[in-house]
Amino acid sequence: MAAPKPWPLVEPQAPNLLDEQFDYRLPPKILFDGPLYEEIDGKVVRFDPQEALARDLVITDTTFRDGQQARPPYTVEQQVRLYDMLAKLGGPRGIIRQTEFFLYTKNDRKALDQCRALGHRYPEITSWIRADKGDFRLVVEAGVKETGMLTSCSDYHIFLKLKKNRRQAFEDYLGVVEAAWEAGVRPRCHLEDVTRADIEGFVLPFVAELMRRSEQVAPQMRAKVRLCDTMGFGVSFPGAALPRSIPKLIYRMTHDAGVPPECLEWHGHNDFHKVHINGASAWLYGCNALNTTLFGFGERTGNPPLEGAVIEYIALRGDLCGIDTRMIQEIAQYMRSAGVEIPPNYPFVGRDFNTTRAGIHAGGLRADERIYNIFDTAALFGRPPRVSITDKSGVDGVAIWVNEFLGLKGEERLNKIKVHKVARWVMDQYEVHQRTSAITDEELAVQVKEHLPEHYTRRAQSG
Amino acid sequence: MDRAEIKDRVYRVISQVLKLEPGQIQEDHTFTVDLGAESVQSVELMAGFEEEFDIEMDEDEALQVQSVGSAIDFIARYLK
Repeated sequence: MAAPKPWPLVEPQAPNLLDEQFDYRLPPKILFDGPLYEEIDGKVVRFDPQEALARDLVITDTTFRDGQQARPPYTVEQQVRLYDMLAKLGGPRGIIRQTEFFLYTKNDRKALDQCRALGHRYPEITSWIRADKGDFRLVVEAGVKETGMLTSCSDYHIFLKLKKNRRQAFEDYLGVVEAAWEAGVRPRCHLEDVTRADIEGFVLPFVAELMRRSEQVAPQMRAKVRLCDTMGFGVSFPGAALPRSIPKLIYRMTHDAGVPPECLEWHGHNDFHKVHINGASAWLYGCNALNTTLFGFGERTGNPPLEGAVIEYIALRGDLCGIDTRMIQEIAQYMRSAGVEIPPNYPFVGRDFNTTRAGIHAGGLRADERIYNIFDTAALFGRPPRVSITDKSGVDGVAIWVNEFLGLKGEERLNKIKVHKVARWVMDQYEVHQRTSAITDEELAVQVKEHLPEHYTRRAQSG
Repeated sequence: MDRAEIKDRVYRVISQVLKLEPGQIQEDHTFTVDLGAESVQSVELMAGFEEEFDIEMDEDEALQVQSVGSAIDFIARYLK
């Protein structure tokens, strides 16, 4: 083996903080060194991330459909409020392009009407129905221009659930698609369980026929295809086999069945903890739309989290693209007020997502918040990094907490020496009183009042 | 203030904060290894010195001081 290349230490004049990728003002930009490769049918296929980024990548939402399958129904008022906030979050370019509604109950239809009455261009309102020709009456009456419909494609669903054979499913699904066109509604075929289906034996014949018939209708009426990873079996690793391989599945759709990227959407589930990366990978391999729900709430383990997709989108684009990131926190707050529990460690919105407990981390945070904060969460989310005080927080942690509490910045900030009495009180709680829980903000405020009374009074006076 | 007086007063602060007899303290002792000062106690020592000598020390420099003798010399700089 050849001797390894020598690697001389490089001492810079100033720290190299890799600003091109880690511009603190934005989520870290995802840069690519080159294309992605996948071997398909013995051929090396090249996927160019720059080509993907040139496409009209969008996020679609199913909070009111799949999201509601995982919880008690939202009230009409809640749906309208959430829809309004989704519109603000997605911004004027419609990064959150569409959202879908059920149509089966009075409340479903009332919510849809009231959302539409808000007059937002985006998210566009679509619906979801079973693959039943009779359901088009509901779609037409609701004035919806596009509807999703179940076109389950694995033999688990065709034979075991629907009790049909492939030919019957094929013809029935196409019959419903034709009915949609006849009703003036754009069909979006949800290929349920596609990651457990016979791709060459059923999926390609069906989708290719769907595309062939789409050539007979106006471009804006062409059938869309939603790839539904119903059980979360999809994998994004290069080299994985069909039907689980996301790169191959999408390639088959775009190259072998002729589905244009703008008509292709990925809908995942989180049964194997792969839901977000699978969705983001689908963007890169040829899907324009990533279907999501707020905070990932959806059937069983949930769907790609919408807010995760939003941050990924910004990271890929390197630009906010009109997205109002602060709405993510507002939506989370609203969901909590509606009784939805969000785990404390949940990324971007959980109570503790940017809270550090370890003293050594708190020390870093005190020196420069960029050391232990993912990006400028104060500017983008209105949530500066925090420390939670336990016996592991150290005096550094206490100093950060006290300075944040007192609203002191720059030269005004108190050093560790000044807060030592509060730090002593904290340590005594654990060492003397054998406490096992974190110290609350209220308890710390009492200690600040006692040990730093002048600062406490100044804070109280400044409101 | 001469060095001997500073030393006496430094020893007094150390014995109060670390709950030691003055006879257990030597100039070449380090605060953490020899005298057993924990993280909070290191900061309490600095606070004790500031109060005892009515000085305000640079925190980062003060926390770099490892031994009793160095602390005496460090404080002496503020009293010149």
